[in-house]
Amino acid sequence: MASTACFVIVSKNDIPIYEAEVGSAPKKEDLAYHHQFILHAALDVVQDLAWTTNAMFLRSVDRFNDLVVSVYVTAGHTRFMLLHDSRSEDGIKSFFQEVHELYIKIFLNPLYLPGSRIASSHFDTKVRALARKYLYIRGIY
Amino acid sequence: MLSWPKPATWPSIPPDSSAEVMAKEKTILQAKAREKLFDIQRKPLPLEPSSLLREANRRRAFLSVGNLSELYDSVDGSGLGAHSKLSPNKSSSNLMTRTMSGPATSETSLPVDRPMRLSEIHVAAEHALKQTISDPDFMTSLSSPEEFESRYMELTKGAADNYHRSWWKRHGVVLDGEIAAIFFKHGNYDLAAKSYEKVCALYSAEGWEELLADVLPDLAECQKILKDEAGYLASCVKLLSLESSLFSSKERQAFQSEVVRLAHSEMRHPVPLDVSSLITFAGNPAPPLELCDGDPGTLSVAVWSGFPDDITLESLSLRLSAFSSADEGLKAIRSTDARVLVPGRNIITFDIPPQKPGSYVLGALTGQIGKLSFRSHGFSQDGPVDTDEFMSFEKPTRPVLKVRKPRALVDITPAVSSALLMNELQWIGLIVKPIDYSLKGGILHIDAGAELKIEESQMIEIESYRSDGEHSSPIDASKVLSRPTDTGRVEKVPIENGKIKLPDWASDVTTLVWFPVRAINDTVPKGTSPASPQKHSIVDGMRMIALKLEFGAFHNQIFERTIAVHFTNPFHVSTRVVDKCNDGTLLLQVILHSEVKATLHVKDVSLDLQAGFEHLGKGDGRPTSSLFPLVIAPSSKAGILFVIRLSGTKDLDELEQADSMLHIKYGISGDRATGAHSPVPVKPDDSEELLFKISLKLKRPVLDPCLAVGFLPFSTDCLRVGQLVNMKWRVERLKDLEEASLSDDEILYQVDANPQNWMVAGRKSGHISFSEAQGSRI
Repeated sequence: MASTACFVIVSKNDIPIYEAEVGSAPKKEDLAYHHQFILHAALDVVQDLAWTTNAMFLRSVDRFNDLVVSVYVTAGHTRFMLLHDSRSEDGIKSFFQEVHELYIKIFLNPLYLPGSRIASSHFDTKVRALARKYLYIRGIY
Repeated sequence: MLSWPKPATWPSIPPDSSAEVMAKEKTILQAKAREKLFDIQRKPLPLEPSSLLREANRRRAFLSVGNLSELYDSVDGSGLGAHSKLSPNKSSSNLMTRTMSGPATSETSLPVDRPMRLSEIHVAAEHALKQTISDPDFMTSLSSPEEFESRYMELTKGAADNYHRSWWKRHGVVLDGEIAAIFFKHGNYDLAAKSYEKVCALYSAEGWEELLADVLPDLAECQKILKDEAGYLASCVKLLSLESSLFSSKERQAFQSEVVRLAHSEMRHPVPLDVSSLITFAGNPAPPLELCDGDPGTLSVAVWSGFPDDITLESLSLRLSAFSSADEGLKAIRSTDARVLVPGRNIITFDIPPQKPGSYVLGALTGQIGKLSFRSHGFSQDGPVDTDEFMSFEKPTRPVLKVRKPRALVDITPAVSSALLMNELQWIGLIVKPIDYSLKGGILHIDAGAELKIEESQMIEIESYRSDGEHSSPIDASKVLSRPTDTGRVEKVPIENGKIKLPDWASDVTTLVWFPVRAINDTVPKGTSPASPQKHSIVDGMRMIALKLEFGAFHNQIFERTIAVHFTNPFHVSTRVVDKCNDGTLLLQVILHSEVKATLHVKDVSLDLQAGFEHLGKGDGRPTSSLFPLVIAPSSKAGILFVIRLSGTKDLDELEQADSMLHIKYGISGDRATGAHSPVPVKPDDSEELLFKISLKLKRPVLDPCLAVGFLPFSTDCLRVGQLVNMKWRVERLKDLEEASLSDDEILYQVDANPQNWMVAGRKSGHISFSEAQGSRI
């Protein structure tokens, strides 16, 4: 069954360094813009909410119609944002944690300039695989 | 984003509202989406009408996908609000089927088998609102679209301000976009532009390019209407520099054509355009171009163009900034003429005029499109700049041009250090050695000094020079075989006014230049004898040649050198009387010292004796034995014996002043590369014979000493400065005076002492009588 999900990693400078549509619905251009719009506006909410708790996983911080924005903030204030329709939170938390590990591996690469786009196709494949694993099978659907 | 409050169930349409419904439908159908600049086709965000439909019909039963799609097809636009982006939201139709499982409402008065159309939804909502609202201001706001808009603007502005103040900038910016759209609709283009600028600034600062791609055309449109050329150009350039997948190629071409059109038109206030993200450049990956001081060169630079089409540039110039600490900030500018940049990589060569020494890195690229000047500071490492990168690249520290400090580029040394023959036409060799530099087009000026004449009727020989070991021994089969291409090329070049043009093949190899000169020395050389010891002066034989080589790619390199060449007579002659025979003849040995490093063949020698002497024997002035041809090895000596006799001249004065002349006919076989050699034949019938004349002074030898002089030892052993010392000597007559002519028996004595060391107190000269008898002493 189709679901929408858009995953964005935003660096601490508020610049998106990675974007992926990880939903199982077919990708559309207008929807991509739509998702960007919602995620960008949600950054405002995150910037307030991130300092209220010392947890990394902030759960859902914003809603738009029936789309929900869940955010995971790393120690370096890099935000992993997932725009999705309602689904189970456990899956999302595990997804974020796994992606965090992948992200750390990217940072360990000495040739990677922090704050620049993540262009690794390996990373991309892995993230999509993780999305398939955590966001759809275990979700209540 | 907060969702708008929705009623649990949508109010139903009042019974007799079909006319209103029709009117509403008409307005909906007539309203159309705002056309975007550049014909950008973009599907609007599904924010309003479709969700409105969905929301209103949420709890209604009998909805199927087919019905809904019909409804969606009739959706055209909305009379409300400004951000009118429409799209039949196909995906939400799928969602629709999910939500249809809810119970059907029973409050509707419509037949339950038909969903509400958009117009019906509008009418129903209006009626419900009118019934519930009591505030008169609010009622006026809802009475007409203009009122509603003004109220909407008021609320939105307030909300945007509050969002900004509470640092929820992104929410604030979204509302700013709404406000800008309304301003635009009303024709307040400057206010609209201001608001759009805020939106664009935030989106570009944070790098959300899809959002920027959506709003920037609106800003561009405002700027175009306001005739803000600089802003419009900047927006177009920014649009072009966004990721290319965000726009179709037609749209990108439209951006470019706008830029070009403006560039070629008259602009009121032309401002240089910054295209750092569109046109980037990088130097060659190769090592930096190395030039010598004062040389021009060409530098090739890779320039990447991000324009979708070819773009014609009227001019392009590149600034290099000097990297050395002394010249920080000094910029050197090159330019090239009109060219077309194709999208992607272009290689452009720049001609560089002579520069000061130092190393240079790439600075900024500037140029002109039409009448518009642009500049680019965008460096790229390898490929085009990734526009998503907001970490700007560090200025490249890799130098791209190195101009060397002035250094020796060429060396000219004389080929031969040993002496050449004086007064004969000799070859002088110069080794012209380029040091890592091409001497192409070089002209060698030779200026001979005094007493040296360059024979200009002869051709100059230029040959390639192999270093010492191989040159002197030409027959070395193994070496010749190993270098079959090195054939010792010789070329003859004419000399004009002391100028030689170096041939092209000689520009990179060490060459030997041979040119014929004649050193002139008009004085007759003098030989040495016991009577006239002579100091050899090397200076007499030196001649100076001033050389000047003009070369260089810019013909501005000059090399000057003055070389000294030694010339010498072939022989140095010394004489001595070997023996006296019993009959009074004297054996005169004439010693020929070879002064040259070549083999001399003496063919004939004749001696013209001075007065007071005469030859014995044949009387033709030749030596006693015929040893000719006499071969004298380099720098060695040979002796020739003459038999002479004193002749009876009594004229003492004549005796003192006369000189004998020795004529030597000789030949020389030498290599011009080692030293003196046989002269260059000027005329074809010049003989190989050379004539050398040298004057000798012969003095009558004292073979029969008449007097003996002896010093007596000093009285004291050690002498002190200032001490008065008596010097005594004794003169003894050894034999009787034979000639009666000398009747006076007085002896003239003269004391000569080195005035630096001795002071003579007393008479230095005087006459003393001396008896004539043998054995008498004084």
